[in-house]
Amino acid sequence: MTTAFYIFGAIAIAATILTITRVNAMHALLYLVVSLLAVAGVFFILGAPFAAMLEIIVYAGAIIVLFVFAVMMLNLGDVSIEQERRWLSPDLWLGPSILSAILLAELVYLLSIGDLGAPPGEPVGAAAVAARLFGPYLLAVELASMLLLAGLVGAYRIGRILDERTAERTSSAEREPVAAGADAPQRVEATAASVFAHDGEGE
Amino acid sequence: MSVVAMLFFIVVLLFALLAAAALLTWVERRLLAWWQDRYGPNRAGPFGILQAFADVIKILLKEDWIPPLADKPVFVIAPAIVAVTMLLGFAIVPLAPGLVIADLNVALLFFFAMTGLSVYSVTFAGWASNNNYSLLGSLRTAAQMISYEVFMLLSLVGVVILAGSFRLTDIVDAQRGMWFFVPQFVGLVVFFLAAIAETHRLPFDLPEAEHELVAGYHTEYSGMKFGLFFLGEYLGMMLSSAMIVTLFFGGWLGPPFLPPIVWFLLKTAFFVCLYLLLRAALPRPRYDQLMGYAWKFLLPVALLNIVVTGAIVVATRSPAEVGS
Amino acid sequence: MAVPTDAPAPALPKTRGVQRANELAERLEKLLGPDLFPEGARVQPTADGIPTLWLASERVRDVLLCLKHELAEPYEMLYDLTAIDERVRHVRDGQPSSELTLVYHLLSFSRNEDLRLKVPLEDGASVASVVDIWPNANWYEREVWDMFGIRFDGHPNLRRILMPPTWKGHPLRKEHPARATEMGRFELPDDRYEAETEALRFVPEEWGMKRSTESSDFLFLNLGPNHPSVHGVFRILLQLDGEEIVDAVPDIGWHHRAQEKMAERQSWHTYLPYTDRVDYLGGVMNNLPYVLAVEQLAGIEVPDRAKVIRVMLCELFRIASHLVFYGTFTQDVGALSPVFYMFTDRERVFEIIEAICGFRMHPAWFRIGGVAADLPEGWDRMVRDFLKWMPPRLREYERMALENRILRARTVGVGTMTTEEAIDWGVTGPNLRATGFDWDFRKTRPYSGYEQFEFDVPLAENGDCFDRCAVRAEEIRQSLRIIEQCVENMPPGDYKSRHPLATPPIKDRTLHDIETLIHHFINVSWGPVVPPGESHFNIEGTKGAYGYYAISDGGTIPYRLRIRTPSFPHLQVLPLISRGLMIADLIAILGSIDFVMADVDR
Repeated sequence: MTTAFYIFGAIAIAATILTITRVNAMHALLYLVVSLLAVAGVFFILGAPFAAMLEIIVYAGAIIVLFVFAVMMLNLGDVSIEQERRWLSPDLWLGPSILSAILLAELVYLLSIGDLGAPPGEPVGAAAVAARLFGPYLLAVELASMLLLAGLVGAYRIGRILDERTAERTSSAEREPVAAGADAPQRVEATAASVFAHDGEGE
Repeated sequence: MSVVAMLFFIVVLLFALLAAAALLTWVERRLLAWWQDRYGPNRAGPFGILQAFADVIKILLKEDWIPPLADKPVFVIAPAIVAVTMLLGFAIVPLAPGLVIADLNVALLFFFAMTGLSVYSVTFAGWASNNNYSLLGSLRTAAQMISYEVFMLLSLVGVVILAGSFRLTDIVDAQRGMWFFVPQFVGLVVFFLAAIAETHRLPFDLPEAEHELVAGYHTEYSGMKFGLFFLGEYLGMMLSSAMIVTLFFGGWLGPPFLPPIVWFLLKTAFFVCLYLLLRAALPRPRYDQLMGYAWKFLLPVALLNIVVTGAIVVATRSPAEVGS
Repeated sequence: MAVPTDAPAPALPKTRGVQRANELAERLEKLLGPDLFPEGARVQPTADGIPTLWLASERVRDVLLCLKHELAEPYEMLYDLTAIDERVRHVRDGQPSSELTLVYHLLSFSRNEDLRLKVPLEDGASVASVVDIWPNANWYEREVWDMFGIRFDGHPNLRRILMPPTWKGHPLRKEHPARATEMGRFELPDDRYEAETEALRFVPEEWGMKRSTESSDFLFLNLGPNHPSVHGVFRILLQLDGEEIVDAVPDIGWHHRAQEKMAERQSWHTYLPYTDRVDYLGGVMNNLPYVLAVEQLAGIEVPDRAKVIRVMLCELFRIASHLVFYGTFTQDVGALSPVFYMFTDRERVFEIIEAICGFRMHPAWFRIGGVAADLPEGWDRMVRDFLKWMPPRLREYERMALENRILRARTVGVGTMTTEEAIDWGVTGPNLRATGFDWDFRKTRPYSGYEQFEFDVPLAENGDCFDRCAVRAEEIRQSLRIIEQCVENMPPGDYKSRHPLATPPIKDRTLHDIETLIHHFINVSWGPVVPPGESHFNIEGTKGAYGYYAISDGGTIPYRLRIRTPSFPHLQVLPLISRGLMIADLIAILGSIDFVMADVDR
């Protein structure tokens, strides 16, 4: 089990580094998915299968897909790859890297002096998570869902504004699009809702 | 099961699944032909059954071409993802008592994790092909699959409430009194529709709608890479049929004159055929209609189902039972 | 061979046409002033009785505007626009001098009358565009430019339409070679290959399109020329905002086979098989307007039996064509099965056609003066069986397709066209009737004895995809009614006229008297010599109005043959009715228009 843990950990770290260093956004996302899967594996080994599955379903299965979706929409070409390449110059990454290294050193020091190495007692199942969320943390859950609701409403509003612009543009054309004008708002609504319904699932 | 027996079982299951998927192409063509007043492939072997193998050979030997403008690594990885995730999905399906590769306590979530990951196959394929049709196809898929995953999850919450577990063997055992399609009929309908959308079969095959997008996300694929998409689609169809049977139709349960595994296979085959019949019978809705249907009809229905199921369970069972 | 004297003179329609043309000319002069007409004759008598006026090229726009907007009972539709290369034409008595003649063919529904306007032009001259008067003039003017090199001033995008953009010369001019052997060896070295490919690149700016707005880029999707849903080789370039169609540019010409040019090399008789292939789903229906136009020119009276046989076969082909439409349309919206059932039924139609004609899709079975042979024994039994078989199947298709909720959701309200738009764009046939406009040439201008039959003209209201399909589904029923009347009332008599120009002549008397033997010999070896003149004939085809405009210079081959097809203007409407919709809607619209690329490109 320990071996598996280290393998997962190593994959997660390597994939994350590759995610940062890729110049092609889609390749970066591919590594990010791998990294998330590896983290899910770590969770699984640490006795939290429920968290592991949620990690895959919510992060890998939904949120990153939306990232991919956005990247496909943006029509990134060679220009953006060039830009990424320029951003990888040392004077840009040196500062953050030094700060991260200090943080890492601090973490290692704390781990070495503290008594944090105790293995988890028993697997944390779905029921245990549910009992906690809807017991002591009920207020936090409700607050989080309020936040998501606000996000949902905001996304809907933004979608509406975009749609009004589209309507203006097409109606100034020769002919009023009859069918599209009627059902276009629903499409925007649906996309916006799909973005947030998934976040809601994660709570 | 011992490790050796388990390995043997895995290998047998793997080959059985691949063979079944290949055979299913023949079954589909014959059944469609039958429903459409045609013959279908009837030349190779008895009833044309060897057609499936002829197709496998053909697809293996075909030139495996990668378009020069494609993003090569992603293009190659994409078809593998769907085949792998779908095959992994079968790991948690209990064929009969004790006959399951991984009897996870979060098996149902594992199933969702695998279907969720299979989305990448389509999105990556569409993006890497560098083809506008593929791109449109994969955009459609990403939106469609993410949306329908939501209802798929929500539709099964009722089942989980009734069984009190994510473990599939527990869920089957909980159906000894009554198969869940009776109390969870609404859940079944939503799950079935969502499963069609997830496997993008007609009438919800918009990602690859040939009349609109040529072949959608796999337009540029040929040879065995195309074969893997094909395989993934058929495996997905079998997997979701198996899940329908496990979750709503009592899995391996059935009158004792047939062994449990036969019951399971028969029921699964029935739902696979239902899939095929749908393809023969229905036209395809438009993309926005499909999404509108999901968010305006399936979402409220699935939520209502959860509330009603939860209320009934709380009202009828003792608090200790519910709390466990 | 001399023009036969015993032919019934087509004087009656001729004089009526001249009379109507004179009335109209006077009316126009009163409204617009005196200098409307070129020097020389202003009215031309034609065999078809269509009033024909010559116009001075400077005043064309004024006259057309007046005819469309100011006249009581106006000429609403630009039915056709073409040209004639007159430079080697001999018989032009009473016509003003002209090198290239532009021909506007207008149609007035309120008068139920056509009007032909001819404009004499010098080679290299240009004329004012009428795109702002009739939007469908856009493609017609491009075609005339492409084929004859006549320029249209003020045209928004005067470029080649049927020929590739790299083509040299204008094919329908008389000096342009008609055969590959006259053109030198065809070679395609790499550089030319690249140039040809590059010429096909779509540059949105050339069509007045933007590549992006301030907030997003448009996606340009190249649909075709090979695409599962374009029904042939047809390319449509889509400007997309997401999946929403902002604009569309149909690109045609991929199926162009120079049908009109070939007519100028074939004898009147040997051209018949070419017509079958114009609307390749219409079979002998294509022969009909051609033979009717030639018969009108030659003054041939067709026996009743031949007329009824023609009607019966045309209606059988109408059913076959509509079945293909019905099946492919439902398939275009994603239903896989109906097309197989419908093709099985079509097979039954073809069995009958094969038994009668000996061919299935392209029988080329009509002849100038009648049909190729008499009906075979037992034909009526086959047809009766089919008449019994078909109605329950049609009911089944209605349940399967038209009453399906998904199909209705996909097609109702999609791709709507109003009657005014349809008329403005030259839309005819079932597509026009789907907008609720009652116009069927079989009723309004009965030909080949259609006035003898009882049938209804199905109409719809909204002019959307669903209505276009529903109208055709009902037309199948009406065709069955017509066929039933044909079977019950098949008249006895000759299957071909005994007129000396009927080709090939009926042979029974050739071995008895020398006169018919000579006719037979000449007609078979040279083909008939059709008297000089001009004749146009319209029929109600499967897809809309088919019109053949035959011009004879008194020889054995046509001097010019213009084929007016319905699919050409129908495809031109595509951008109008698909803007603002989604790709899936475009596919439904493409299916519902019922076009055949050979019918568009000819």
